[in-house]
Amino acid sequence: MQAVKNLQSVQMRPRKPAFRRAWLSWIGIVSVIALWQIVVWLRVYPEFIIPPPISVVERFWEALADGTLWLHTSTTVSQMLAGLLFGVVSAVILGTLIGKSRALEALLSPLIVAVQSTPVVAYAPLLVIWFGSGPTSKIVTSALIVFFPMLLNTMIGIRSVPVMMHDLMRSLHATRWQTFRMVEVPYALPVLLGGLKVSATLAVIGAVVGEFVMADAGLGRLINQARFSFDTPLVLVAVITLAAIARFMYGMISVLERRLLFWQRRQ
Amino acid sequence: MSAEIAARNLTVSYQAVDGRGLHALGPINFTIQPGEFVSFVGPSGSGKSTLIRVVAGLVNPTEGGVWLDETPVTAPSPRVALMFQEANLLPWRTVTDNIALPLELAGVAKKERTAAALALLPRLGLDCPTSYPAELSGGMAQRVALGRVLIQKPDVLLLDEPFGALDALTRERLSQDLIHMWEHDRQTVMMVTHDIHEAVMLSDRIIVLSRRPGQVIADIRVSIPRPRAQEDAYSTAFGDIALLVRSAIERA
Amino acid sequence: MMRKAVMVLAAVVMIALGVTVTMAQETSDQTLFLTFVPNIQFSPFYVAIEKGYFAEAGFNVTIEHGDEPIGVDLIASGSRQFGIISGEQVIAARANGRPVVYVYQWFHQFPVAIVATENSGIESIADLAGRRVGLPGRFGASYSGLIATLSANGMTEGDLSLQEIGFNAPEVICIGGVEAAAVYVNNEPLQIQNRIDAGDCGSVTGIRVFPVSDYAAVVSNGLVTNEQTITENPELVGAMVGAIDQAVRDVLNNPAEAYLMSAAYVEGLPLSDDFRAWLEAESASASERGDASPLESVVYNQALRDALVDVSDRDAALQFEILLNTAALWANDPLGYTDPAAWETTAQTLITMGFLDEAPDLSGAFTNDFLPQIP
Repeated sequence: MQAVKNLQSVQMRPRKPAFRRAWLSWIGIVSVIALWQIVVWLRVYPEFIIPPPISVVERFWEALADGTLWLHTSTTVSQMLAGLLFGVVSAVILGTLIGKSRALEALLSPLIVAVQSTPVVAYAPLLVIWFGSGPTSKIVTSALIVFFPMLLNTMIGIRSVPVMMHDLMRSLHATRWQTFRMVEVPYALPVLLGGLKVSATLAVIGAVVGEFVMADAGLGRLINQARFSFDTPLVLVAVITLAAIARFMYGMISVLERRLLFWQRRQ
Repeated sequence: MSAEIAARNLTVSYQAVDGRGLHALGPINFTIQPGEFVSFVGPSGSGKSTLIRVVAGLVNPTEGGVWLDETPVTAPSPRVALMFQEANLLPWRTVTDNIALPLELAGVAKKERTAAALALLPRLGLDCPTSYPAELSGGMAQRVALGRVLIQKPDVLLLDEPFGALDALTRERLSQDLIHMWEHDRQTVMMVTHDIHEAVMLSDRIIVLSRRPGQVIADIRVSIPRPRAQEDAYSTAFGDIALLVRSAIERA
Repeated sequence: MMRKAVMVLAAVVMIALGVTVTMAQETSDQTLFLTFVPNIQFSPFYVAIEKGYFAEAGFNVTIEHGDEPIGVDLIASGSRQFGIISGEQVIAARANGRPVVYVYQWFHQFPVAIVATENSGIESIADLAGRRVGLPGRFGASYSGLIATLSANGMTEGDLSLQEIGFNAPEVICIGGVEAAAVYVNNEPLQIQNRIDAGDCGSVTGIRVFPVSDYAAVVSNGLVTNEQTITENPELVGAMVGAIDQAVRDVLNNPAEAYLMSAAYVEGLPLSDDFRAWLEAESASASERGDASPLESVVYNQALRDALVDVSDRDAALQFEILLNTAALWANDPLGYTDPAAWETTAQTLITMGFLDEAPDLSGAFTNDFLPQIP
């Protein structure tokens, strides 16, 4: 009996703060909604500028029921995922090469910095002209916006391997591929996953920016459509959906992080 | 199994960042007999670690060279195993998997290499096959590193300040365990250390290197009979040799 | 989270303060909201500033540009008093609780047309059936103009193969991407024709233009204010309408002078020394001629357009021709008058497009009461 009791107390202790954190974040969300409702009551702005939460909820159900929300959300999500995939894969490949070659870094870094410091909204319209108004231009925008933080993180990650580790692997006659797979990739993983967290939320922005310029479907297009038909609640529905997608992606990668970086938590 | 190590006219210069050459080591000459335990001591910057890295095949000499049983060393040899001051364990691998790493790299099947690693654990004084490095103390981590060396069944052990990062007590216990294992296997051992007491306690010979560029300034035979015990540290012979080594380093 | 809440609170307070400040603004300073970017087509507003019409009416005007929904919300919420907004946006905005009112019709003719290549063999709206037709997107004036035109011919958008091509009609038509496109009547047809003349438009040999206004009366851009301003400060509305009316009249009367005055407002408006001299001469002769009625002016301006053939500065000639074409769309007798029947057509078009569920109450959406000459 005593042993069972001890076991329980040991298990409960680490769970408590996690519970409290979950509660606190819900309290945060609820207070923002409450504040929103207060702003509506105080009539700081007319209702067509800040509609009450309840009308947004109603609009949400309506858009869900008539399939509009699903159509646009699935478009944005698939474009975002494709962009994320292309952006991350190409950035990791190039980042690994640059991470291993100072010469390649010297060659490419001015170019990379120049493109990275250009805001995506500046070149998104060009991408739509070059790649058409279909999904391709959104995937490219998304991939581009994801590419740079991912590239940087890959470089940093690959270079975070201690020199001693390279000596060890060389003294053990490891092949380049073995060193890459067994040492460099795992060492780079924490930084890489950190980059992926940022990238996943950026990918949403990339897809939506493209949709804002021109699109057949997607949440960016839905926002524009709602704005031009003065449907402010629908604008907010789309915005909140975007936030939820970004939060979901962030959460998924956090789970992945906990799975892959189990060895970090023990420290 | 063991091997003879010979350094002949060995010289190492580095190209410094500013383009000037840095003469780090040599010319140096010595021979280590098969099964001999030799320590290298000397002031900081005497090129001791460079010397170890040349023997390991990680650094190419500028002039002269190192011969392993009369075969010149040009690349890491499978007969040689290297142990560093830091354990350098892979944090995402268990104790067993870290020890088994050299076998895995050599393409040994999972079952066999795990069995080999598990068989080593009692000799290493480890009983935590599934623990991760982050859960280990410094001494335990270094024991795992030692296991990773022993599993290679090397003819030559290169130890670069293997206990340098440990506290005095752990250090003493680990060096005792090392010497017991060595007395059993009798590999050729080259050890770099800062600790004169440790050098005298473990070695057959102590070679003292000068300041940069490191050169041999003393070659002292330790004639204390084996097996040695901690009490030997209080003998006159021990004290005399330690004093000899110390004065050689001070002259360096 | 706490920090987030504080930030939101701070943002709300700042917005509230911002609104109070705007509300308390003196009426002597007015911001006029325009869509798009500074452009020769907005010349009446530059002329009104340059000639001091706003100043005479008792206020300073600052021009700002933004996209239409933002303009509507700024005016509807009282942050701005005036802006240029299209009629269909006024109907849609009012249907969604925004108290905006259309007080002066600037464009008499809806500025959208359907342009088709000669090679396509499209000779009427009915011929568009089954063809690839481009439009910027399913929003704004081009879309409603196209739908109104189709409706007037008993067709729907399902009869065409519609392609969203952004504002790239000249390129897409010249590479054969579409056979026809909904465009601004005063702009893209000119650009396409110029490219054809320069041999830079693929296999396209000529174009046919079908203006929306030939088929349906749709309410276009005009001056919009809010109900509060009409109730509390009708004199201000009258003064603003009067100043703009005078400026529109002036541009029609003397487009050369308007072009010269606009150069300071439209960055990159081509104006070589030769062309300036030409404009100054034309401006002088227009002044000598004296005031003509808006419809007479259009006839005079036709002669100006013909004379442009001799101008060597082709970039400037194109921009000036765009101004002449645009001004022709404003002409009406009386200027600024908006036709109730056109509002009904526009509302019907919005219903067809699915932007409105039911026929809206159009009373209060527009008024002709502030026109200087009441018909």
